Amino acid sequence: MAKVMLEVDRITVRRGMDVVFTDCTLGLQSGQSAALVGPNGSGKSTLLEACAGLLTIEQGEIRHGAAPVVRPDGARRASPLLHGLTLQRNGAMGSETVEEHLRTAMSSVGRHTDLQPWLERFNLDHRRHDLIAHLSEGQARKVAVLAGLLPAFVAPSPGLVLLDEPTTGLDAKARAQTLSWMGDLCQRGHALLVSSHLDEVVDACSHTFDLASLQLKEAAPRAVEPATTPTSMSVTTEPLAKESGTQFGRRQHFRTQAWLSTNGVAALLTLGVLLVLGDIGARISGSQTLALVLAPAAAAGLVGEAMASLGREERCEDWRLALGLGTAHGTPMIAALGAGFTALAGIALTGSVDIVWVTAGAGLSAVVAWAMGVLQRSVRRLARPQAVFVGLFTPVLLLPYALLVDWLAR
Amino acid sequence: MTTTFKKVGPPQLTMKVRVGEALLLTGFLGITGTLLLALLWAPSVSLEAFESPAAQRIFYWHVPAAWAAFIAFGALFVGSAGWLFKRSERMWRLHVAGAEAGLATGLITVWSGCVWGAAEWGTPWDWSDVRLNTFGLLTLLAVYLVLGRASQPDGIETRDTFAGFGLYGFVLVPFTYIATRIWAIRHPGPVVATGEEGSINGDMGLVLLVGAVSFTVLIVGHLLTSMLITNSEQRLLHLQRRMDGGER
Repeated sequence: MAKVMLEVDRITVRRGMDVVFTDCTLGLQSGQSAALVGPNGSGKSTLLEACAGLLTIEQGEIRHGAAPVVRPDGARRASPLLHGLTLQRNGAMGSETVEEHLRTAMSSVGRHTDLQPWLERFNLDHRRHDLIAHLSEGQARKVAVLAGLLPAFVAPSPGLVLLDEPTTGLDAKARAQTLSWMGDLCQRGHALLVSSHLDEVVDACSHTFDLASLQLKEAAPRAVEPATTPTSMSVTTEPLAKESGTQFGRRQHFRTQAWLSTNGVAALLTLGVLLVLGDIGARISGSQTLALVLAPAAAAGLVGEAMASLGREERCEDWRLALGLGTAHGTPMIAALGAGFTALAGIALTGSVDIVWVTAGAGLSAVVAWAMGVLQRSVRRLARPQAVFVGLFTPVLLLPYALLVDWLAR
Repeated sequence: MTTTFKKVGPPQLTMKVRVGEALLLTGFLGITGTLLLALLWAPSVSLEAFESPAAQRIFYWHVPAAWAAFIAFGALFVGSAGWLFKRSERMWRLHVAGAEAGLATGLITVWSGCVWGAAEWGTPWDWSDVRLNTFGLLTLLAVYLVLGRASQPDGIETRDTFAGFGLYGFVLVPFTYIATRIWAIRHPGPVVATGEEGSINGDMGLVLLVGAVSFTVLIVGHLLTSMLITNSEQRLLHLQRRMDGGER
């Protein structure tokens, strides 16, 4: 008996002020592929994103295999079976290279393979080491599609693959190759849920799910036979450790130098203001000196976490969250900045470096930046996240700074 | 083709509107009376105990406003929880009303506290004082919710996000209340519900009571009126969407 890969159990989903669908039920077994069909605005992407755990559901439950992954009380669990995801947006930061992004995708299932034959099929092999920001729209879409399919090909066991408009923006050859790979994945026992308004994609799937009637129907025999797949070259895989949010964040911080251009500049400006004050050490108390020495570290943290805003690019952070890849952050680097600038401020104001103060500066900048990152991410579901004023909470983040100064000065 | 418009008169005042407005007016008169009593009748505090005894009179607005802010933030919490767990439109209206009332009373509390702090401590704010900062955070939360709601289209994502913040804010209410018991740095300790006999003089207590009752009446009137305004906004939105043909 085929294994159930996806169970959507009587879910209700709202978006904005609309109820997109009510009592939606859908089951997909190993080896099946279902095309979501319906006009624009019927809820194809909404259902797919709900299945990926990216949307809140009002009623019902979504299970991947036997494991509930989305519940109406807001509880979400990392999916043990989600082996690939392509969103309508590409899910990749422009500062990643093609190879890095595909390896990150494969790390979600803990295996990797040689990328060369896959990239050749999509005519991307010469772009392997290029930044995604430097690709054309079509090329970037090809990378997003590969990132949705490759993890399933290298996964040790069959799973679920979710693809939103996978062939939109691709040339004819790449579209045919994508459909062929989809068929091959079904043959390997994976289940595919695909949203598309293109007939060729619908024809390539074993089932259709009509968003108007909420009925799953078996499709006519498929028109596209799985043929030209790299499986003929055999997919040899090797273990690959899952890339943590810290590793990813560190790589992106170094690549973009966001830690220096945001956190570093804030600390530098604060230090500059302190230097303008001149030799004030003799005129102020010990606790006031300490407060000034720690001020650059506090400023470094108060400007927030650059990864929180960079992660909005092409919904990169959503894509990572759905695949259980963790939240990208650069906390260790911001802590290092806090330590460095505390040491510099100590030299400038007291002529010495106190290791306790330096450690406190590192912790202060890390904690404050982390808190700002939480605030920045708390509005990611809003329609206009850039239009809300999370900066209003910034003044109160001076509290840990003031308490730390008070505690150290005793 | 001629389009005819139905002549629409002014909306009929419902009983609820009248109650809300009556409470608002009564509360406003009450807090004005409290201010007059505080300035003209209430006894002065000990000249030895305070740097600036005259400034202490602001306490008759400061403490009742803080009390009313806690009621408003309580309403915000109930409304937020009611929206998140029951998806109740009425509870969302309570959330909106609680945020607006919390903003009004929070600003009065913070402003009056800053005036008093400047006179008594020599500084309007102390970043190391936990109660000041947690109350400041509560007020900023209210500013955030009121401005944030104005900047976003109404929808489940907007409501869930802001209701989440509303729940978080309520955690700060008991925290703020006990802050001066745990970290007694600068802010004076509680003057009511301390369990100590004679914590404040009888006449002072009377003015404070008038202030507390007045601010409570004002805030209840504010909550009722604000909920009715939000209800009207929602009805208007509903009608607009029906005319757009987009209602599902």
